[in-house]
Amino acid sequence: MSVDTTAAAAGDPPAGPGAPAGPRAGADTEGVVAMFRRVLESEDVSADSDFFLLGGDSLVATRVLSAVARSYGVELTFEDFLGAPTPGRLAEKIADAR
Amino acid sequence: MVVGAGFAGLTAATELAAAGIDVTVLEARDRVGGRARGLQVSDGGWVDAGAAYLGDRHTELHSLMAGLDLKATPTAMRGASRFALGSEETTRDGRFPPLNAVALGDLFERLDELTATVRPDAPWLTPGAGELDALTAEAWAERHLAHPDARLFFPLFLGEMMAADPARVSMLHVAFYLRSGGGLRYLNAFEGGAQQDRIDGGAHQVCERLAARLGDGVRLGEPVHAVHQDDDGVTVRGPKGEYRADVAVMALPPLPADAVDHRPEPPARRTGDRTARGCAVKVHLVYPAPVWRDHGLSGWSVNARGPLLSTVDDSPAGSGVGVLTGFVTGAEAHRFAALDPGEQRSAAVGQAARLFPMLPEPVGFHVTDWVNETYSQGCYAALFGPGDWVRHGPGLTAPHLRVHWAGTETSTEFFGLMEGAVRSGRRVAAEVLARR
Ligand SMILES: Cc1cc2nc3c(=O)[nH]c(=O)nc-3n(C[C@H](O)[C@H](O)[C@H](O)COP(=O)(O)OP(=O)(O)OC[C@H]3O[C@@H](n4cnc5c(N)ncnc54)[C@H](O)[C@@H]3O)c2cc1C
Repeated sequence: MSVDTTAAAAGDPPAGPGAPAGPRAGADTEGVVAMFRRVLESEDVSADSDFFLLGGDSLVATRVLSAVARSYGVELTFEDFLGAPTPGRLAEKIADAR
Repeated sequence: MVVGAGFAGLTAATELAAAGIDVTVLEARDRVGGRARGLQVSDGGWVDAGAAYLGDRHTELHSLMAGLDLKATPTAMRGASRFALGSEETTRDGRFPPLNAVALGDLFERLDELTATVRPDAPWLTPGAGELDALTAEAWAERHLAHPDARLFFPLFLGEMMAADPARVSMLHVAFYLRSGGGLRYLNAFEGGAQQDRIDGGAHQVCERLAARLGDGVRLGEPVHAVHQDDDGVTVRGPKGEYRADVAVMALPPLPADAVDHRPEPPARRTGDRTARGCAVKVHLVYPAPVWRDHGLSGWSVNARGPLLSTVDDSPAGSGVGVLTGFVTGAEAHRFAALDPGEQRSAAVGQAARLFPMLPEPVGFHVTDWVNETYSQGCYAALFGPGDWVRHGPGLTAPHLRVHWAGTETSTEFFGLMEGAVRSGRRVAAEVLARR
């Protein structure tokens, strides 16, 4: 679980001009990548990997949503996840909800 | 001498015969297969009244099937699911229930964390085994699950996966079972998981073909009630007489194994007062065609109220007919098993029609009650109750002089499944061969 704590501690990504390219990339995306890696038991995850193409299913997806709630204090629905199945897009949803 | 003609006993007997040993198999029932049993639903269409599903990790079963010319057929599940978890039925894409996803995620995270701590080869050596084994799954849920949706879902999940009543099963057993079967996700999944395939023509065919090869070495209608050993051999007694052998393999579930009179007595029993039975009734509803598919439905449903706690499309490939299998498990299985046949039919057919309103009257209806089977006493498998793993676990496979033990409940790999039974049969055959 240490991965999640780190991500939470990193807090919101800076959205200023110096921020890396891509939709609000940064600490949150990294945090979500780490969550995907943990529940999928695979290192082969990047910011734009699709959870379901990596073999994730609905049961494992709920584990990500649980980890998101614990780390970021944001409760997303299963439909939210279906609409944003990559770490980058899920991090965006998390940021929007905060 | 092998006692029990299920997957375990027949695998063991086949391996022993191949090594040149003269083997006899004594089977209590008038059929082989034990907890696997075929049911014919149409011309050439068979379904599984007992064990049905397997996955790619079930490698020993797959290689056994290959040697018997049996094929796996996918359980391909396409379309939306039906759920009756609240006041009304709902339809959703995929298999995810309309419940709070974070609450279910919390449940699965906790279960996964617990599963990871289990010593798969020796669950009684798991850190904190004593405490975890003392706890029922119900007590664990009360302690750890706060959200009502998690509390609602947990018993349904255990019912579907283990045919377990949470009040009767040890939490160490639950965690062990999940670990042994390849983890939460593998056990739960159809595609890519433990329910990926069925055996074309029925799982019972594995046992029938193994038995056919053993020929008249397999004797049916021989319930063994006593196994007495002396310095020179073993005497095995059934109602038709007695048999003498060098070694006996008891390939039975643990409760029937403990019902046999052993002399001398084994140093430890295999079950205790709290060893429970998995409880399942399978209901097969047969329709002229799988009409739900035309409406974009997969046939899968999950229901908070019985009798059918879940349904799945088990239509045999190429048969034309549509078969919905209903699972009645845990405490609900006891209630359903006590109904008379007319009540069972109207309850099951009525529930199916509410879930799938397009259904016509069924052309066939079958109930297979595993709850009251003397020669199984645990279906899908025995459920270790509080204290059982710590007390009985270490001795489960230890030979008792000339008596060796097999059966899916002696396998720490794929416990409770056909794969576990096959692996136990191979393990015990190797043990017997090593005696010589
Ligand atoms: C409804 C249901 C669904 C299941 N679904 C699945 C599934 O999808 N996938 C899966 O892998 N597994 C499933 N299982 C579990 C699977 O059936 C078992 O794990 C497997 O069949 C066990 O094989 P076994 O040889 O260990 O025991 P058994 O099949 O129980 O064989 C033991 C044999 O011993 C005989 N016997 C008992 N007492 C005596 C006696 N005193 N003397 C002589 N003979 C005796 C019995 O009649 C039986 O034939 C399911 C089981 C049930 C009931």
